Amino acid sequence: MYGLLKVMFTISISVFFFSCGEKENRSDQKVIGFLDAVEDATLALAADGFKEALEERGLSEEEGNLRIISRNAQGDMSLLVQSLQYFTSTGVDLIAANSTISTITAVQRSRGIPICMMVAPEPHMAGLTNSEGQSPDLLFGVYETLDYIDTSLAMILDWVPDVQRVGLIYNQAETQSLNALERVRETGAQIGLEIIALPVTNSSETQLVSRALIDRKIDVFFALPDNIIFSSFEVVLQNCNRAGVPIFTSEAGLVARGAVAAFGADFYQWGYQAGILAADYFENEGRDFPGLERVKNRSRVYNPESAERFSLSVAKGYQKLEL
Amino acid sequence: MFYLTAITLGLALGALCLGIFISLRIFNFPDITADGSYTLGGVITAVGIAAGWSLAEVFLLAVLGGMLAGTATGLIHTRMKLNSLLSGILVMTGLYSINLAILGRSNIALPVDGSNIFNWLVPFQSEVWNEFITLLVVFLLMLTFLSWLLKTDFGLSMRAAGNNSNMARGFGINSDAVKVIGLAIANGFIAISGFLVVQLQGFADINMGVGIVILGLGAVIIGESLMNILNVKSMTIRIAGVVLGSIVFRLIISLVLSMGVDPKWIKLLTALVVLIIVGLPGLIPNVNKRIKLE
Repeated sequence: MYGLLKVMFTISISVFFFSCGEKENRSDQKVIGFLDAVEDATLALAADGFKEALEERGLSEEEGNLRIISRNAQGDMSLLVQSLQYFTSTGVDLIAANSTISTITAVQRSRGIPICMMVAPEPHMAGLTNSEGQSPDLLFGVYETLDYIDTSLAMILDWVPDVQRVGLIYNQAETQSLNALERVRETGAQIGLEIIALPVTNSSETQLVSRALIDRKIDVFFALPDNIIFSSFEVVLQNCNRAGVPIFTSEAGLVARGAVAAFGADFYQWGYQAGILAADYFENEGRDFPGLERVKNRSRVYNPESAERFSLSVAKGYQKLEL
Repeated sequence: MFYLTAITLGLALGALCLGIFISLRIFNFPDITADGSYTLGGVITAVGIAAGWSLAEVFLLAVLGGMLAGTATGLIHTRMKLNSLLSGILVMTGLYSINLAILGRSNIALPVDGSNIFNWLVPFQSEVWNEFITLLVVFLLMLTFLSWLLKTDFGLSMRAAGNNSNMARGFGINSDAVKVIGLAIANGFIAISGFLVVQLQGFADINMGVGIVILGLGAVIIGESLMNILNVKSMTIRIAGVVLGSIVFRLIISLVLSMGVDPKWIKLLTALVVLIIVGLPGLIPNVNKRIKLE
């Protein structure tokens, strides 16, 4: 019994200690909790775009009318949940969710705080709609459909007209990646490309899996933009460069990192568009709730160095990426 | 309020720590299976709730799933004489595919109107307090069960087999069988944690178990250090201390999260604060002496 008392005493002391130090927010200052699930250079671009858009609309930390609290779970799900709990219990005005899993986490337990999503698919593809197919009430932001896949695949024909075998790796643990793969298979069948897809579950497997693909004599590699590709793109690039296999993708950031060309959403612009919606939300607070929008800005870009490496002539309508 | 949510999460992960305590402290078996069986418990819960099953069915299936995983690890270790770490790694790796197959996709959000354990006990206005009370009740039930179990004949043979399996065999205990059953129970507890956390966070994800063993081990050891500092001997309270360790671990993460540091330093800071709590008492000569004298 004495032991139990000691334990109780320690708990109450520590709870008291921990409950000191909550910060007060100024009332005229908007607070955004920015929720990231993984460390990633490309996803960070969306965050930059988001902040830039708010700043252009006159909301910035320098002005003193905005505070952005960023928390990154670094791949740890329990840390992701705790970061969200931090936002909900300190009472931020808006939660900005970057990537699909952040959005799902926020939607499920935002406790009445609105959520602005970016770099995520349509709510129904992320399994966030209710039985009548409606999106959550408090969710707004910018999503992407799978339509870009059709163009991204067809784009390969602009660059390598005699292409037959397209290799790709996909992440089994990401809904977005699986949905995209399905679409790639459908589109590939329509335009007569043979799709060779191998699964990965962890970025440490990319080395082996990308070599296995190259061994299967692929003509080009198509980089599906998922978390594993983002984190281990350089491994794929190195293997493909050695084997003389050009890489095409649907994300401009990967072109900057060495892929030949891309048609698709620019993550910076994606975050920017979401930032504009967030600014709208603050301006119309209480009157008008922003909705969900599709990514507006899709671009065709190419990397001159990579194009030259494979001696590919530049296809029409592609913008050179400033490196 | 933020610290209360951390305590809540700590309690939900407490079941995991109890499971790891059984395998690590009673059998001296560093059980990596937890990564997979925690996710398995969560995945079964999410799929079951989404399919509209009752919570009792979902709970039983989740625990059964965890126990099967533990049995597999135990059998591989005792029958095929594989190293304990390797047995756990093999089962955990295999479970990844099984979890993915059950889930059907990489993550499932629980339906808002689906059954949820946290809708049962709602004495307060605040959701957070209700979650806390529910988890406290669950924790007391598990504590009672585990401290009863460890005092039964079976529990004593478990402790004997873990302590010295040759001696236990001398007393007529089938230490292999006891080990397999013990690991099954441990992983049953771990699956309960998955069951609770999925309902607390509202979704299951295939990667939710990544690194969870390390967190659990950390919490068990923090709890033990606290119990040593407080010089507690009673078995029941020491078991409670394991869950206390899990709560303290979550509180430390909360503290670091609310300090407003650059997110990239969060893990280092967490490690440092844990180090201070666990390591500092050892550096103060007086505390050491006092512990010895008592």
